[in-house]
Amino acid sequence: MTGIERLDCEVLIVGSGAGGAATAALLAEAGFGVLVAEEGPWVEQGEVVPFSLDQMDRQYRCGGVTAALGLPSIAYTEGRCAGGGTEVNSGLYRRPPAEVVERWRDRWQIRDLDPDDLVAIAEEVEKELSVGPVPGPASEPSRLLGAGADRLGWQHGETPRWMTYPEGATGWRGERQSMTRTYLPRAMRAGAQMRTGLTVERLEIRHGRAVEARATLQGADGPRSVRITFNHVIVCGGAIQTPALLQRSGLRRNIGRTLAVHPTVKLAARFDHEINVPDDVPIHQVKEFTPALSFGGSASNPGLVALALSDQWPTFGPSVEDWRSMSVYYAAITSEGKGRVQAIPGLRDPLVTYRLTPGDRQLLRSGLARLALLMLAAGAREVYPSFRGAPIVRRAEDVATMQERFSIAKAPVMTVHLCSTAPLGDHEGRCAVDSFGRVHGTANVLVNDASLLPDAPGVNPQGSVMALAVRNARRFISVERPRG
Amino acid sequence: MVRSSLLERLAAPLAAGLIRHDLPGLPDDRVAATVRFVQRRLSGLPSIIRFGVTVISGGLGAVARGRFAQPVIATIARRPLPLVGEFVRLVRSLSYAYVWETWPETAADGGQR
Repeated sequence: MTGIERLDCEVLIVGSGAGGAATAALLAEAGFGVLVAEEGPWVEQGEVVPFSLDQMDRQYRCGGVTAALGLPSIAYTEGRCAGGGTEVNSGLYRRPPAEVVERWRDRWQIRDLDPDDLVAIAEEVEKELSVGPVPGPASEPSRLLGAGADRLGWQHGETPRWMTYPEGATGWRGERQSMTRTYLPRAMRAGAQMRTGLTVERLEIRHGRAVEARATLQGADGPRSVRITFNHVIVCGGAIQTPALLQRSGLRRNIGRTLAVHPTVKLAARFDHEINVPDDVPIHQVKEFTPALSFGGSASNPGLVALALSDQWPTFGPSVEDWRSMSVYYAAITSEGKGRVQAIPGLRDPLVTYRLTPGDRQLLRSGLARLALLMLAAGAREVYPSFRGAPIVRRAEDVATMQERFSIAKAPVMTVHLCSTAPLGDHEGRCAVDSFGRVHGTANVLVNDASLLPDAPGVNPQGSVMALAVRNARRFISVERPRG
Repeated sequence: MVRSSLLERLAAPLAAGLIRHDLPGLPDDRVAATVRFVQRRLSGLPSIIRFGVTVISGGLGAVARGRFAQPVIATIARRPLPLVGEFVRLVRSLSYAYVWETWPETAADGGQR
């Protein structure tokens, strides 16, 4: 490591995902001198195939191989690039549900959190991200999910996406309006500086005030130490990295103790015709059993189809040769369990653990069974539940056998929605930050990302994250004054 | 030349053995490419998981030597032993995802269709 670079800014924003990018844009436009520190690279859309191993190498933390340890462990993924998770997720959008916002406000004592105000902010975000329905028919795996739900009389619908489509388009392919297309360019137009390859390792805190960030910059000639001074620091590293950074900086009260996720189990379904879409996910979601349980479609390139079959390869494996007729689907639950994020001195990565409750295990079992029925109703010839010892499901009667054989210990459980490791609110026993994101016991350290959500919202969380981030950024602007 | 880590060196023969056991038709050059991919992903694992996988690989590697290599690989491939089973699942997941994303027309035994 050579030399020490020194940087100074008015507001340091750590992370450039849904929370960090929106915060950067609003503060820069309000006249604050903003520096965004992003650990990963800037990757333009189109440089990598969505949901491919190449994308995982370049835009995911640890190549996408990360897990919350437990019985069973839960595999999860984190974006690690400019734009964070918005560059790699499904692009599906849901507003924060009013009943969820009310629950957060009441149980976590969040001051001035009005569901109607949040809806108004959500509308602004939706306009910025071009949220809307696809202009034409959905992809075949998506249509089949809806058709199956129709046959069973289950509620379902197309989930809006933040995408733009070519003029006069009648299909479903569009361009993602992720943070590198929307809020980050907006922030930079307003004068924000952005540095990629810059990892903030810890904050120096003296008498409740952060005075300096210690960071490492990955340059062409190797890593270099960087010291960043600032008036305010806003941590937006996501639900795993944010609590880890705060803990490494000596801030621990209610931080990292209440990780919430939406655990999922999967299956592959094989139809009589070619349906596979390797580079996109279905937009239909089945909401008959929400908020406890929901169904949708997963990325299904041939590698991911093979992965879905891998736990029972001796009997499922031969079907991989027909991957063009297959797609992968998931059952996701709103979990009662909780996890922890714990920074370990001397180690680069935090220890992440998660414990499913008996109720969660039962819900995952019944969720997978209902999903299998849904796929049969959709016309699947064969269904391959992803767990060791699973039978091939061809008829409704096979679902009972599947349930008998199912044990959560045999199933690969996954999640992509991570939140709630620095809960927002004034409830002293539960919350890590005050009602607008300031870390308790500090004067100038704020959090503004998925960590703030008091618990899992039961829907795709990006809309909730962004609405709260914009709300908190506006509050910051109304209270603090730019230097200039 | 980049020097490989301890985990990469320990895991490589085990990964190669598992891939050859599961996908006996996979040509040698593809086995080698898949092992390199698995090594790269294992070396990027989060710290604590990487430590655990290194310990398991070291223990397995000590047992699966010489004439014991094939029977040990066959046993761990078939039986979901505690912890070792997680290692097998990890290697298998990475390998299968890589093989079918890279060569989608691969047959179920790893051979070319």
